[in-house]
Amino acid sequence: MSPLIQFRNIAKVYGTGNTEVRALWDVNMTIDSGEYCSIMGPSGSGKSTAMNMIGCLDQPTAGEYFFDGQNVAKLAEDELAHIRNRKIGFVFQQFHLLPHLTALENVEQPMMYAGVSSSQRQKRAIAALEQVGLGNRVNNRPNQLSGGQQQRVAIARAIVNNPLLILADEPTGALDTQTTQDVINIFSELNKSGITVVMVTHEPEVARLTNRIIWFRDGEVLNHHLAPEELASVTAMPV
Amino acid sequence: MNFAESLKMATKTLSANKLRSGLTMLGIIIGNASVIAMVGIGEGAQKYVNGQLQDLGPNVLFVVPGNREARQLGDLDIPRTLVLADAKAIATQVPSVAAVAAEKSTQGIVNYRNRNTSTSITGTTQGFLNVRNFEVAQGRFLDDLDERSNRLVAVIGSTLAERLFDNESPLGKQVRIKGITFEIIGVLEKKGSSLGLDYDDSVMIPITTLTSRLVGRTSPYGIEVGFISISAVSQEAMETAEFQITNLLRLRHRITAGDDFYIQSQDTLLDIANTVTGALTLMLAAIASISLFVGGIGIMNIMLVSVRERTQEIGLRKAIGASPKDILSQFLIEAVILSALGGLIGTAFGAGGIFLIAAISPFEAGVSVSAVVVAVGVSGSIGLFFGVVPARQAAKLDPIVALRSA
Repeated sequence: MSPLIQFRNIAKVYGTGNTEVRALWDVNMTIDSGEYCSIMGPSGSGKSTAMNMIGCLDQPTAGEYFFDGQNVAKLAEDELAHIRNRKIGFVFQQFHLLPHLTALENVEQPMMYAGVSSSQRQKRAIAALEQVGLGNRVNNRPNQLSGGQQQRVAIARAIVNNPLLILADEPTGALDTQTTQDVINIFSELNKSGITVVMVTHEPEVARLTNRIIWFRDGEVLNHHLAPEELASVTAMPV
Repeated sequence: MNFAESLKMATKTLSANKLRSGLTMLGIIIGNASVIAMVGIGEGAQKYVNGQLQDLGPNVLFVVPGNREARQLGDLDIPRTLVLADAKAIATQVPSVAAVAAEKSTQGIVNYRNRNTSTSITGTTQGFLNVRNFEVAQGRFLDDLDERSNRLVAVIGSTLAERLFDNESPLGKQVRIKGITFEIIGVLEKKGSSLGLDYDDSVMIPITTLTSRLVGRTSPYGIEVGFISISAVSQEAMETAEFQITNLLRLRHRITAGDDFYIQSQDTLLDIANTVTGALTLMLAAIASISLFVGGIGIMNIMLVSVRERTQEIGLRKAIGASPKDILSQFLIEAVILSALGGLIGTAFGAGGIFLIAAISPFEAGVSVSAVVVAVGVSGSIGLFFGVVPARQAAKLDPIVALRSA
């Protein structure tokens, strides 16, 4: 397996002098392509910053970040936008669907920035919605869909440009147990089809279902391969 | 993203919030409607004045005492050298001239029995009918004999005739003009006012009678006139006539340098009128532009609010691959659509306003194509101009911060 995500001595520092905050400090981490892993850690551990970095939404203060073999630490904003568009699919806790657009139109959005023709867009968006089991809801607006359905539309939007990586930020945080299970199943399916899935979560039962847990604390990776059995002990650890 | 798609997306966003989009456009609509209407009114006024001047007839020249510069400076000390004899000389000695009339006016009270009215009293000569294109409705006009013998006879305009005599025939009636009794010998056909001179509401008497009995002032050079109006034999003869009249009057007035008269043609009057109405139009347009500008500020305001409100959307769009340029153009296009559409609607309202004004005023309706093009173009660029600040703000948003904002 070749590495898809590689952090080399990554640091992210906010502020200077007395107000300096080291959100990430000297982080080395590798996630291979095809992995299905979760990132965990207490709040303030730097996991969100790491996730933004992985998603090319943020850039490190120091260090090198290789994504798909390319050092993206110093890329311009336009180039980062291009990578996000083509190689990464985002799934958020609050779904972030555009309320005035239908499910179909929401899923079409990433392809508009990729310059896909209108007829192609529609075809691929329908296929993606069918893949997440929403083939019959294409013309519904977000407010006509349940939370689980909305999150599935968001997943369809994330996969529609055939990304290398699905990056999910607390994807089940706003969902009940049953729909959480549905969403996690979709992620496993996607992972089986070869897409790397990285998920930030604070729910041990969700993290347990992934193949690897990366544990962050105080801006560092404390454990690259936390065993699910150990979860109970680390979550109980004083922060 | 290509332009057509950006356009479609922007329309969708704007129609998702119709009330706000409509209200935002309202500023531009009002601004643009007032620009179109004001320019239309200005141009209507211009056409109206031009029409009035053209009513004078294309071949008419006016000889006015004093020199042009002095008159324009408002100098009241006009030389009293232009006299009736000059008019006679022009009539007899200038071959390119068809008819000549001398005129001098005063204001005064005209009584008939118990009715009285203040009106303009014009002393003139026989040539007046031909030069000014009047027809006699009843009786006859003033003639040479009336003039030579200072007769107490008068011809009245149709409006004045109605006011003084109702349905009675004025012919042969005695009226008192400034206390002196005149006999009405004719009534003029109605013609309407021209350049503020309404002969329909005026009484005409021999210029000699006016000078000797009513005004009582003669110049040492003869019977002073207010101006001499002349019609040339043809439009082509205008320049010749002007040249010949100038030479004749210079000879008669023994002028070697600095004329004591000047000649106005319809063209020179048109020039003056156009300068005045042009300035008026410009001023109206400038005032209306202010409201257009205010409308633009309204757009900027709403776009700024909209950027604030749609922070999450912007964050999401950035996350799924929108470049700063994509976001910038999205917000710019929305601003331009608002302003350009507002501009078009405003133009329609402005045009409607012009036709309304045309219906209730003597001005002609005219929606000038250039004003429409300029107004829509300007309002579009206003959207562009006032859209830049909010759009840049949106484009610069940090996607992480934008996504987090609740």
